[in-house]
Amino acid sequence: MISIAISSQKGGVGKTTLSINLAHAFARAGLSTLLVDADPQGSVGLSLTRQSRLLSGFYDFLADPAIPMERLIVPTRLETFSLVAAGQASDYEAGNGSSGSHLARVRAFLRNVSARRYDICLIDTAAGLFGVTNDVIASADALILPQQAEPLGIRSVPKLLEGLNRLRIINPRLNVLGVCLTMLQQGLAVSTEAASTLRQLLPEEMLFQTAIPRDEIYIRASAKGLPVGVLEDGGGAETVFDSLRAEVQAKLGKSRHQAHIQPD
Amino acid sequence: MDPINPWLDPAEVRHLAEQLLRPVTPTRLSAADPGFDPSFVGFTSPESVAAPAPAPAAEPEQQAPAAPPQAPPRETEAPHRKAETNLSAISESPQPPPVAPSRTRFLERIRIFRDWLAKNFHATDIFILDREGKVIFDESGHGRLHFMARNLALASRGSGNIHVKVGPASILEVIPCETPYGRIVLGSIVPEALPANHVQTITEVLIQTASPA
Repeated sequence: MISIAISSQKGGVGKTTLSINLAHAFARAGLSTLLVDADPQGSVGLSLTRQSRLLSGFYDFLADPAIPMERLIVPTRLETFSLVAAGQASDYEAGNGSSGSHLARVRAFLRNVSARRYDICLIDTAAGLFGVTNDVIASADALILPQQAEPLGIRSVPKLLEGLNRLRIINPRLNVLGVCLTMLQQGLAVSTEAASTLRQLLPEEMLFQTAIPRDEIYIRASAKGLPVGVLEDGGGAETVFDSLRAEVQAKLGKSRHQAHIQPD
Repeated sequence: MDPINPWLDPAEVRHLAEQLLRPVTPTRLSAADPGFDPSFVGFTSPESVAAPAPAPAAEPEQQAPAAPPQAPPRETEAPHRKAETNLSAISESPQPPPVAPSRTRFLERIRIFRDWLAKNFHATDIFILDREGKVIFDESGHGRLHFMARNLALASRGSGNIHVKVGPASILEVIPCETPYGRIVLGSIVPEALPANHVQTITEVLIQTASPA
């Protein structure tokens, strides 16, 4: 199994949209996929299931690792796609707790997921590199960094990279798959210029070629509690995430080839 | 006006990104790390890390302390007497550090502090890092502990002490502390996480120890 954290320094960059739709793309491709909501805001659950406020989830496991995984994993209509909600644990502030305080339990959670023979576990984290998010990144095999295509977001990139370099001290096998531009607005000069600047700043292999456009279809999809590809007119958006999925798989394949990621 | 480039240094961004792309070979804990239990997760060896590492002090006696030792030795009537006064005011607090000679070098004051900490809080593997993460004082000999303490202190963003379990009965207690010479980070292994009042006491005594007379 490969665990991939989806994280960003800044909030509101389309992290949950990317997580849901990339996980759906993996599942449609036939890979057994688990999407985990590690954001205390619970956006994945709120987007995909009406029962999210009742479901036990990731933070409940952190509070009590004796909870069986069967109680946490929620199946979907797509056989290869399951999810784990954020949960009801009262100490939701755990999302902001000291780094390292949940490391062992996050790793135990991932071991349990791996034992259930998932191919991919995508973890949508809270924004910022601290608390449980730090522990998730310090435990995951790989990392995708959604980055909003606008100047303020891009100014946060040095801080993000600095933080990640520190985290690699704790997790040296972390494979940084790259930055994925999100909310790109082709008709807006400041957005395309920001994207272009980021492409100049970062090494080519650090950026995904696929960029996620800003589109009202994502709002409609989350309103209906569905991944965008399920909508009747979601074919275009589905293609975008298929393309991103192919890039992720290519990068993972390359990494495996270079023996940076040890398969289970 | 360019809305991005004036806010960041392109060379720095590229360097940081390239550093992330470089593979890091995972290493296992070796038996030569008596300060760690094998069940501990999260450390790696300093050699395998791309980021600059604070070198552990092989010989603490020869280690040049950071800021304070650069100042000439001076009269230090205050620090240890201050520490004594403070400690006596704390009910649960144990014996204060012994009174040091009036002319006491920084490192000597730190050693007295170290003895006090070890005796009263059962602390071992005590070390102190300066604001750059460099070692001021170290009796642990474990560069990994320094890495972890530095990262935890950075992650805490000034919100106080942090502790991490490193073995069945071993907690790495990290206490960042603002002194006249800047922020220093005290790290030590304790059997149980320290309560807030003890952390407060230690912080106060450390500030006095690290302050000029």
